Amino acid sequence: MRNRLDEQLELLNTELIRMGALCEDGISQAAKVLVTRDEALRRAVDETEQEIDRKEREIEAICLRLLLQQQPVAKDLRLISAAMKMIADMERIGDQASDIAEMVEHIRAEVLPGSLHIAEMARAAVNMVTNSVDSFVRRDMDIARAVEKADDEVDALFNKVKSEIIALIAEKPEEGETCLDLLMVAKYFERIGDHAVNIAEWVVFSLTGEHD
Amino acid sequence: MKKKIIFSMSCIALLSILLSMVLSGVVSYYDSLEIVKKATIAESHYIQNGIALGGDDYLSDIRSAGYDTAAAQSVRVTVIDTDGTVRFDSVADAANMENHNDRPEVIAARENGAGESVRESDTLNVQSYNYAVMLSDGRVLRLSVGMKTVFGSIERMVPWMLLCSVIILVLAILLSTYRTKQIVAPVNAIDLDHPMENDVYGELSPLLLRLQRQNETIKEKMEELHRKQTEFTAITENMREGFIVVDAKGDVLSYNTSAVRLLDVHPEDDRPQSVLAFNRSPDFRDAVDSALTGTASERITKLAGRSYSLIANPVTNDNGVQGAVIVLLDVTEKEENERLRREFTANVSHELKTPLTSISGYAEIMKDGLVKSADVPRFANNIYTEAQRLITLVEDILKLSKLDENAVELGRADTDLYAIAQEVACRLKIPAQQNSIVISVQGSSAFVTGVPYILDEMLYNLADNAVKYNRPGGRVVISTGTEGGHAYMQVSDTGIGIPAADRERVFERFYRVDKSRSKQIGGTGLGLSIVKHGAMFHHARVSLESEPNKGTTVRVTF
Repeated sequence: MRNRLDEQLELLNTELIRMGALCEDGISQAAKVLVTRDEALRRAVDETEQEIDRKEREIEAICLRLLLQQQPVAKDLRLISAAMKMIADMERIGDQASDIAEMVEHIRAEVLPGSLHIAEMARAAVNMVTNSVDSFVRRDMDIARAVEKADDEVDALFNKVKSEIIALIAEKPEEGETCLDLLMVAKYFERIGDHAVNIAEWVVFSLTGEHD
Repeated sequence: MKKKIIFSMSCIALLSILLSMVLSGVVSYYDSLEIVKKATIAESHYIQNGIALGGDDYLSDIRSAGYDTAAAQSVRVTVIDTDGTVRFDSVADAANMENHNDRPEVIAARENGAGESVRESDTLNVQSYNYAVMLSDGRVLRLSVGMKTVFGSIERMVPWMLLCSVIILVLAILLSTYRTKQIVAPVNAIDLDHPMENDVYGELSPLLLRLQRQNETIKEKMEELHRKQTEFTAITENMREGFIVVDAKGDVLSYNTSAVRLLDVHPEDDRPQSVLAFNRSPDFRDAVDSALTGTASERITKLAGRSYSLIANPVTNDNGVQGAVIVLLDVTEKEENERLRREFTANVSHELKTPLTSISGYAEIMKDGLVKSADVPRFANNIYTEAQRLITLVEDILKLSKLDENAVELGRADTDLYAIAQEVACRLKIPAQQNSIVISVQGSSAFVTGVPYILDEMLYNLADNAVKYNRPGGRVVISTGTEGGHAYMQVSDTGIGIPAADRERVFERFYRVDKSRSKQIGGTGLGLSIVKHGAMFHHARVSLESEPNKGTTVRVTF
């Protein structure tokens, strides 16, 4: 028979996976909005963001209940404290996804040059989030470490996009506002990458007890 | 159990000791009472006679003879006068004694000549037996003997009793321990797996028989269960479909290797897992959630670039939804085939419609008499060309559909690819010359077992393409031969080449790299498709190398 602690830990695990999956949904929807500018999809990002917020509160309640009622120790305690940190990062990812979707509204499609590496950045960020959730689901240190490395790639892409935007402003000064919006979107993706790294680090912490 | 046996045995032993003690006490008391009585009566006769002979002096002699000594103290002689005053007592001073006429033995002696009574003293274990007899002068002689009561005689036995009890108790405990061990040992030693092979006392055989039957039933049930489990595993493990069973909370109860392979997960066996650990894509989550709320669903979902048919069914009983069964089926190829078929149908209709529209257009103009008679031959020629095109197209489609269904009934024969190459080169000489292209054949004889007609068709299509998509002054080289034990035929040209992006798709039906140009060149768009299907029919492999604006080499290896 499973005891109550195991049952609640399993529930926490499931809900974390669910919240991670919602984050993946949110950011990939946002990345799609960037390309397709689909209004329905843009609303879907908002809904996902609200659901992520709800999930965060739910998981928080589960964690507190576990801490108060079960007095967990060692590995279980690490998982719970890591969970509380992870949901904060996930919630930020959700917010940024919805911010991106909102920003896209103000960017006129014709300004968006095909050569811009922003779509690539979006793909890399989505991948990082997927992998960080994967590392949690599979309790896999290797995937978690890979996420930490992938962040360099996103950072490099951000610098690239930044210089592309600078060139764009020099070329069409009248589109300066749109360009700044684009820069913000790129920054959001870069931040999402950082949050994914945080999640991966907390996964490593929950497995080993080490956090740097 | 052992304790109970020891306790009851000890109780019985103690009880029997107690009972026998009481009984023997009572019996010995009455025995000794009887003896005392007889001795007292006899003694009273002596004293009576003594008094009759010696008078009162005899009485005083009794005292002086030592009746008052400690040894003889137990018998007390008293003489009571008619009025009840004590005249003589062997122990106490007669003058101080009270009137004795109310004593029951004295009253009885006066009435009947003799009387007796038993009187208990103040202490419980001592009593006195009194015997009185009437003397001839009317006085009464009374003898009183002290003796132990029933309790007194029992009391005497108590120390022995205690000793016996201890010995018996120890014996009882030892014996009962030994016996219980003896009883329990064979019961403990029963081989429960083979109950009927045990040699224990008869009282246990009904139990053993029952055990035997239950063992058999359990064994049968276990075997049945095991068989069912094996069947189930065999079925699910050999399914190409991924198969996952989840409980009402969404935890995975069972899955097969196909599911693990399709979803690319590495589940741990040691802990219950949420099905979300298998996959967490929105479609999958939605399917599982709706199945767990009782709604079956079927949908096509894309995972890692492949299409899956995802079927989720709730498992219900009287208590509501107990879980869900999820079946995953890889339908990527099916979807792809479906897409190709749809495209083919659309393309065929389009390709057939184009020449028919021109034919119909020319014919309409001629019908309405809008054509000058001088132009009629030109119009007729156009109609003829378009009709020819239509015929070629239909022929190609027929060829393809025959190859598709493997319905070619032409016999296979050893065929020389070199001979076919020469024949094809011969046929293409004139169209090649028109475009100032040099066509040549190289290599050696290479025999394959195949259908000559299809081989010819394949090589002709390749060479025809090489000529069509060439540049004036270009070259086409057809070569055949054997390499590494495999026959091959190859067509190289110096033509326009195929862009990298299109190389995969040129074998698709009606696929054209440059749609505007193909109109002018002609052709049905089915040539390479026929080559591909012909190669499949002959189990051959088609490889294509191409460099845009340099040329293309297609090789068919058997």
